[in-house]
Amino acid sequence: MLAGEREDVRPPDGLARKVRFAYPDLVTLPLLDVQDLRVRHHLPLDDGGHRLAAPAPDGVDLAVEPGEVVLLLGPSGCGKSTLALATNGLVPHVVAADLRGTVRAAGQDVAATRPPLLAADVAMVFQDPDAQVVTGSVLDEVCFAPENLCLPAGEVLARAEAALRQVGLWERRGDDPDDLSGGGRQRLALACALATGARLLVLDEPTANLDPDGVEQVYAVLRTVAAAGDRGVLLVEHDLDAAVDVADRVVVLDAAGRVATAGSVREVLAGRADLLAELGVWLPTATIAALRLRGAGVAIDPLPLTAAELTAALDAQPALPEPAVVRAAHVPPSGASEVMASTAAPVTAPVVSVTGLTFRRGASTVLDDVSLDVARGDLLALVGSNGAGKTTLAQLVAGVLRPRRRAVSGAVRVAGLDPWRADPADLTAAVGFVFQNPEHQFVTGRVDDELAHGLRLRGVPDGEIAARVEDVLERFGLADLRDRHPFWLSGGQKRRLSVGTAIVCRPKVLVLDEPTYGQDRERAVELLDLLTALHEDGTTVVVVSHDMQLVAEHATRVVALAGGRVLADGRPDAVLGDEAVLRAAGLRTPPLARATRALTSHPDWRSVTRLADLPVAAPHGAAVGA
Amino acid sequence: MSTPGAAGVTDLRTYNPLVKVLGPIPVMVYVVLTRDVLTPAVVALVVFAAIALLGRVRPRVLAAIALGAPVLCLVMTFSFGMLTDPALVDDTTLLAAVGPVELWSGALETGLATALRTVALMLIVLLGGLTTTGADLVRAMTQQLRVPYRIGYAALAALRFVPRFGHELEVIRGAHRVRGVAPGRGPAVAVRRQAGYVVPLLAGGIRHAERVSLAMDARGFGAYPQRTDRLRIPFRVRDVVLLVSFWAGGAACVAVAATLA
Repeated sequence: MLAGEREDVRPPDGLARKVRFAYPDLVTLPLLDVQDLRVRHHLPLDDGGHRLAAPAPDGVDLAVEPGEVVLLLGPSGCGKSTLALATNGLVPHVVAADLRGTVRAAGQDVAATRPPLLAADVAMVFQDPDAQVVTGSVLDEVCFAPENLCLPAGEVLARAEAALRQVGLWERRGDDPDDLSGGGRQRLALACALATGARLLVLDEPTANLDPDGVEQVYAVLRTVAAAGDRGVLLVEHDLDAAVDVADRVVVLDAAGRVATAGSVREVLAGRADLLAELGVWLPTATIAALRLRGAGVAIDPLPLTAAELTAALDAQPALPEPAVVRAAHVPPSGASEVMASTAAPVTAPVVSVTGLTFRRGASTVLDDVSLDVARGDLLALVGSNGAGKTTLAQLVAGVLRPRRRAVSGAVRVAGLDPWRADPADLTAAVGFVFQNPEHQFVTGRVDDELAHGLRLRGVPDGEIAARVEDVLERFGLADLRDRHPFWLSGGQKRRLSVGTAIVCRPKVLVLDEPTYGQDRERAVELLDLLTALHEDGTTVVVVSHDMQLVAEHATRVVALAGGRVLADGRPDAVLGDEAVLRAAGLRTPPLARATRALTSHPDWRSVTRLADLPVAAPHGAAVGA
Repeated sequence: MSTPGAAGVTDLRTYNPLVKVLGPIPVMVYVVLTRDVLTPAVVALVVFAAIALLGRVRPRVLAAIALGAPVLCLVMTFSFGMLTDPALVDDTTLLAAVGPVELWSGALETGLATALRTVALMLIVLLGGLTTTGADLVRAMTQQLRVPYRIGYAALAALRFVPRFGHELEVIRGAHRVRGVAPGRGPAVAVRRQAGYVVPLLAGGIRHAERVSLAMDARGFGAYPQRTDRLRIPFRVRDVVLLVSFWAGGAACVAVAATLA
C-alpha cells in the first residue's frame, strides 16, 4: 500500500508537466504576479513570542513576463530581499512573517504551496556563493535540484549538462565547488537554477560578494539567459553599472517599502534620476557623471546609462569645460605631495614598511616577495581578485595573523612595532583593523564597553575613557544604542561600531578588509566618507577593496596584487589607467574612466577617472551622487 | 563511484559502503571484549595490511598511519599503564617508582592491551572511512537501509560546514588576539579566551545554516518523499563475499592469536 501512496505523490511526468505549463502560456499569465504584497517579519522576543517589524514591502504590485528582466531597486531595508524570498514562499513558510496580498508563480498560489514544490517554477540565486553549496562536486550540485524533483536519471544528466555548458563549467564537472573562484561558484549557482527548468529566475544581489572579473562572468551568463527569451528574471542588484544593459524594466521601492516608480530602464533611471537620488538609490556612474555635467552647464540630453553612451554624449558636445583634475593635481606622487604638505605633518619615515615578505600556507605561496612602504597620510587601496593575497597581507600588517617562523620570510614594521610580536595594548595604538565581518571583532556585551575595551587595556584613565567613548558614540550615531549588545545592531550600525572600536584608540594606521563587501551602496558611501574624514585628520588608511569606482574616488595610491605578487603600485590614475595590469589582476577599468578613455574629440578629458575630477558644479547642481 | 569489472575486485573503494562501514562491527565488538595483547595486535596488523594492499590510499596517508599508530600505541601504553590500579598488578615486577608514582610490568601490559585495542578499532574505522566518500555512504544508506534522504543529505550538507567553521574560528581568534582579549597563559585564561569565541562562532554558524537551508528549499529539497537516485550503489555478490571475509578474517585473527599464545 505504501508503494501505491508513493506513486500518488510523485510529480507528473514530463508530458503532464508540459500540459500544466502550456495552460498559463495560452492565457498569457505572467511568470510572476505579485499583487498588493505587504510583509511584516516576526521579530523574536525573549518570552518565545514575537512582535511585528514595520511592513516592508508594503502594498507592492509587480509582474514578470517571459523574456524580460525586471530590476528591483530601493534603499536598504525597503524589502527587496523579502519580496524575492516571497516569490517561492520562503517568506512566510520558512522565514516567519505576516503576509497580505497574493503571490502567484506560474499561475500557482504561493501561499498554498510548500516552497520546495515550487522549485520547478521559481529558481533562486542568493548573494553568498558559499551558502548555496550542498554537495561535493560541481556535477552533483547541478543534479541536486532535478533529483529532488524526481526527474528520471537520464533527464537529470541531460539538464545538468545543458546548464553547465551554458555557464561554461562543463569541463569542471568533477571538481569540488570550493575549488572554483567566487565568480565560478556563482555561475554554478546559476547553473543549478537553470537545471530546475524553472522559467522564473530570482536573483538576490548575485554579485555583491564578487570581484569585478566574477561580476562580468555572472552577467555574461545572465545575458545568454535573457537573450533566449523563454525565461523571466527578477533581479535585485545594487551594481547598476553591471545590471543596466541586461534589465528591461525597473521597479523602485521607497524606504517605506512602497512602489516609488516603475517603468522601462531608460524611463526610470534617466527620466526620474532626481527622484531616485532623493530616495538614496544609486544610479549608474555614467548617469551621475552626466547629471554633474548638466549642473556645470553642459547640456547632455538624454541622460546616458552606460559608459559607452556617456562617451557618445560627450563626443557630441562641441566643447567641454576644463576638467577639475587639470586645475588641481589632487593625487600626490608616491605619497609626498603639496596637498599632504599643506594638511599633514611633513613626510618622514614610512609608517608601514613591508620588506621581502613571503608567506606560505601549506604547499601554496600566498604572498611572494612583497615589498611596500606606506607613507604617513596615504590612503592606500589594495586591489586584486579574490585569492590574490590582499586579505593575508592586510592581516599580516595588522598583526591579526601571527605567522609561524617557518611559514614566513621578510619583515613587517608598523609605526616602529613588529606587529607579530608586539603586545596587544601597544599594537592597538599603532594599528587598528576592521574585519570584513564586524561580528568577528566584538568581544564585549555592550556597545559602550566595546569602545572602551581597547582603552582600558592600555590603562587610559577612566575620565578620559568616558570622554573618548562619548565622542565616538556621537560621531558614529551610536549614542542611543550604547547599552545594546553589539550582535543586535543592524548591519550598518555593526560596521560603524567596528570602525569605532578601531579608531577610538587613535591608531596611526587603520587597515580595513573589504569594508564594503556585501553592503549596499548607501552604506558603502557612508563608510567611505567616514574614511576620507579620518584620512583628512591625518590617519594613514589601508583599505582592501575591489570596488573600482570607490577606489578611484578615494585612494591616493593603489597597489594591485595578483597571485601574491605586487603587480602595480602607484597613483590611482596610473594603475587604474593600465588596462593590461587590471586584466592581469582580475580587475576592470572603473566605469567613468572607461567612458572618458574612449573619447575621440576631447583629449584633455581622457584622464578623468573620478567624479570629483568633473568640472565644479554651478549652484543647485550638486544634488545628485556622493 | 564503483566501476564493475575484474580490476575493481582488489579495490576496496568499489565495494558497497555499508559493508565497509557496518560489516566489521562484530569484529569490533569482539576486539573491545578482549583483554589480551595478541588478538588486537594481530587484528591491527591484518587491517593495516588490508588498507595498504586494497585501500588505494595515497602513500602520504598510508605513511602517516604506519608512523602514527605505533606512536599512539606507545603513548597510550604508558598513560594507561600509569592509570592502572597498582593493587591489581602487585604480583608483577616493579619497574620504576618516582615519588608516589609506581610503574608495574603488569600495569604496562594492561596499558599495552588497551592501547592495541584502541588502535585496532581505529584502523578498522579507517578501513571503511578512507575508502568511502560521504556522498556514497549517504546514497547507500538511503537506497539499502531506507534511511529518509532528508536526514542523509542534511547531514552531508552539514559536513561541509566543518572546514568553514575551522577557517572562521581562525579569523575570530586573530581578531580577539589583536583586541587583547584575555591575554596571557594558564588554563583559566585559556578557558576564558575560548569562551569568547563561542558567541561569534555560533552566530555565524546559525546564519550560514539558515542560508544553506533556504538555498536547499529553493532547489526542491524535501518536495517529495523520494528523490531520483541518479547513481545506484549496487549490493553485489562480491559485497557479500567481502562481508563474510571480514568475519572470517576476524575469526582467523583470533585463532592465530590463540595459537601464538
